[in-house]
Amino acid sequence: MAAEERDDRPQPATLDAEAMAGHSFSYQHDITEVDGIDLMAVTPGKDLNWLEDIELLHEEGVPAVFDRYSNAFLKIHFAIPEGRENEIARKVLMAHLLSGNSYGIQLKRENAKFRQPLLGPWVESSETVGEDWKPRTLPGWERPAGH
Amino acid sequence: MVTVDDRERRTKYDARGLSEPHANVPKVSDIEEGRASFDATGLSTREINLELRWLLYEEGIGDVTVRNPAAKHSIAVGILRRCNLRIEGSLGYFGLGLIDGPEVVVTGRVGWSVCENMMSGVVVIEKNAGSLTGAAIRGGDLVITGSVGARTGVDQKGGTILIGGDAGAMTAFMMQRGHQIICGDAGPGLGDSMYDGTIYVAGKVKSLGIDCVEGEWNDADTEFIDRKFSIYGLEKPNSFQKFVCGKQLYNYDSLEPHERKLVI
Repeated sequence: MAAEERDDRPQPATLDAEAMAGHSFSYQHDITEVDGIDLMAVTPGKDLNWLEDIELLHEEGVPAVFDRYSNAFLKIHFAIPEGRENEIARKVLMAHLLSGNSYGIQLKRENAKFRQPLLGPWVESSETVGEDWKPRTLPGWERPAGH
Repeated sequence: MVTVDDRERRTKYDARGLSEPHANVPKVSDIEEGRASFDATGLSTREINLELRWLLYEEGIGDVTVRNPAAKHSIAVGILRRCNLRIEGSLGYFGLGLIDGPEVVVTGRVGWSVCENMMSGVVVIEKNAGSLTGAAIRGGDLVITGSVGARTGVDQKGGTILIGGDAGAMTAFMMQRGHQIICGDAGPGLGDSMYDGTIYVAGKVKSLGIDCVEGEWNDADTEFIDRKFSIYGLEKPNSFQKFVCGKQLYNYDSLEPHERKLVI
């Protein structure tokens, strides 16, 4: 494309989990990988707790569930049985979180400022991260004299 | 060579904004059979929170009781695992903020902004709560047996806030998702500028806020109300009014998909 034809306008940042990871995950394509997840067992309290608010949505015309831990949509590429839309959306989301594939979880190793479970509250005895956080500095940067 | 100035700088400044950055874990808890308890008398806010994190994250204790918190502020914030936590006494402001997973009982009162930005879990406050209760809550159940102050659930983005008593002015201001159940009366400006979500009120409503309108009751509302009262063993009022967003002021239409994603 010629330089004068280039679209230099700022493009919106993608909010797609596949784009951030560079690939999709098997549980986005195969219902059998998520169907066995016990939603009550992975949530606090005596009902679905925070998963009550998780519903099947659509992103770019594809069924998707929103992962609030990475602010991204996770598309669902298999056929969802009628009447089980929200249940399946919740199970796909939990498969994503339980596996540690959520981009927000992956950022924790370098960016968590306080000790916390790496995989979140849905995994018992998860490894903890964040106990030795140091502020990042740019390569070659030196503290100005007098500071 | 470490100079006096260097040592002073490290003492006074922490890039994370911590007060008492060099505080140590007090390790004062009594631990027995997977349960722990400690008396917070004489401990600073940071020491109480360090003790909690040590128990929950390092010792793997899943059931902790904190006695005599003395209404200190910012207690038990940022607890990000499933556990049972019992706080015997009252909390100051911003208690239990940013939690994700715990099931908590507070036997006393709480100040402003309890459970601010709560992500998941269950919190039961056995007495009254101050203003901004459940501010910006994202998920989970927050139950207040008593009454709450103004702007409860301001900017609420999910979860359920169940209030046994009355609610103050501007309750559910700018609510975006989730549910509120108010067993008593609601003050002026209920649901002002709400985007979405549902408010149930059993008592009188002083006045509705802008774009908050009465909603049509359906079977899902009945199931939801019955389930929540059953779980928490609270006495259910005979009837509720339902309030929702009139969608005249703001709404999520196809022109603003990115704005919509911010509140899902």
